[in-house]
Amino acid sequence: MRCEEARLQIGAEPGRADPALEQHLQSCAACRQFREEMRTLDANIRRVLEGPPEPEPAAVGAGAAVRLRPRIRPPAWRQWALAASVTLATFAVLALWLLRPGETLARDVVAHVRDEPESWLAAQHVDAASIDAALRGAGVELKVTSDKITYAQSCWFRGHYVPHLVVQTARGPVTVLILRHEAVSRRHEFHEGGMTGVIVPDGTGSLALLARGAGNIDDIARQMQQDVRWLPQGT
Amino acid sequence: MRNSQPESPVSSISTQLPGAHAPAQLTQLFESLRPDLLRFAHWLARDRALAEDIVQESLLRAWRSRDALKEPGAARAWLLTIVRREHARLYERKRLELVPLEDVLETQASPRLAEPDGDLFTLHHAIMRLPLEYREPLVLQVVGGFSTEEIARELALTPTAVLTRLFRARNKLRVICGMAAAPDSDGEGAA
Repeated sequence: MRCEEARLQIGAEPGRADPALEQHLQSCAACRQFREEMRTLDANIRRVLEGPPEPEPAAVGAGAAVRLRPRIRPPAWRQWALAASVTLATFAVLALWLLRPGETLARDVVAHVRDEPESWLAAQHVDAASIDAALRGAGVELKVTSDKITYAQSCWFRGHYVPHLVVQTARGPVTVLILRHEAVSRRHEFHEGGMTGVIVPDGTGSLALLARGAGNIDDIARQMQQDVRWLPQGT
Repeated sequence: MRNSQPESPVSSISTQLPGAHAPAQLTQLFESLRPDLLRFAHWLARDRALAEDIVQESLLRAWRSRDALKEPGAARAWLLTIVRREHARLYERKRLELVPLEDVLETQASPRLAEPDGDLFTLHHAIMRLPLEYREPLVLQVVGGFSTEEIARELALTPTAVLTRLFRARNKLRVICGMAAAPDSDGEGAA
């Protein structure tokens, strides 16, 4: 893969992890840096697009007219000061971001779901026996009716077998990973590669939920917190 | 165009279609997705009142062809597609779109550094000012969660063309945020 192709792919889909691209990145520091920058930019694009598009720029909507208005430009030194502030703030945020355990867990959740792309394509509900097989060993029971579950596997994740489910909801299929061994102190929301996720504490571990697109999946997380029953260890 | 807070689109659908009885589940489903649809329409139309009209019209269309919705899980993508097409129809009817000259000049100007607490604000405006051909696939990808192939089908483009547009959209935003533009294979400037 050439740098040009790599950058096209990174620019178009910053969250995607393609084997050919990964191979190229191993030997190209410039493209690696480009991807880091693009991922940071993409996280901000996502934050902006997920909020309401307010305030609107003055009359850029249909029907606006061409007009001119005076502008006051800031002095040049201020731009340099601002640039230095932005750089420092970016490094600080990046450092904090890299050190947060919730982010690492979120990345692993996204990577795991990407490794099983067929999970979101399943249309038929899974029979109760398969759900039991997925839950076996994880020490949980589910109150969700099996006709809502279209995917149920027991997956190797961070050193343990964990139930990996896809539940059909009003906002489309939502992946649920039941993580007995991953304790989190508080709710953690994340966005990557066109997906929205949330990790919430539950029982002695946590639940990770992931859905396509933007939006809020807290209501689904709350429902899952009610539907998952943690059994005592060793049962 | 409406300036006041609209009534619930689903309840108004019921009143606009005499004799039609909205199944409670479908009504609830549409209502639950309405904020997503409105945000999506707003980013396409860049005007809240217009977005509300688009969503209202889209929900009416969706209601009329509700039999086409086989799986509730597909409702979000289905409704987003209807909203996009409704916006496109509006665009076809209203081709002339004038924008403030200084906004155009600003978008095409040299890199502008984001203010310390205003980088998202800058980015927000930059996205708003992206030409529709770049903004639309970006919004479909980020807000809608559509894959490149799905966007290509929806916009009647090849997947390669969609990738190029997504790349250029981000490349333009990159420049506006003060970063260097990535080389563009077709020679198009980033700004």
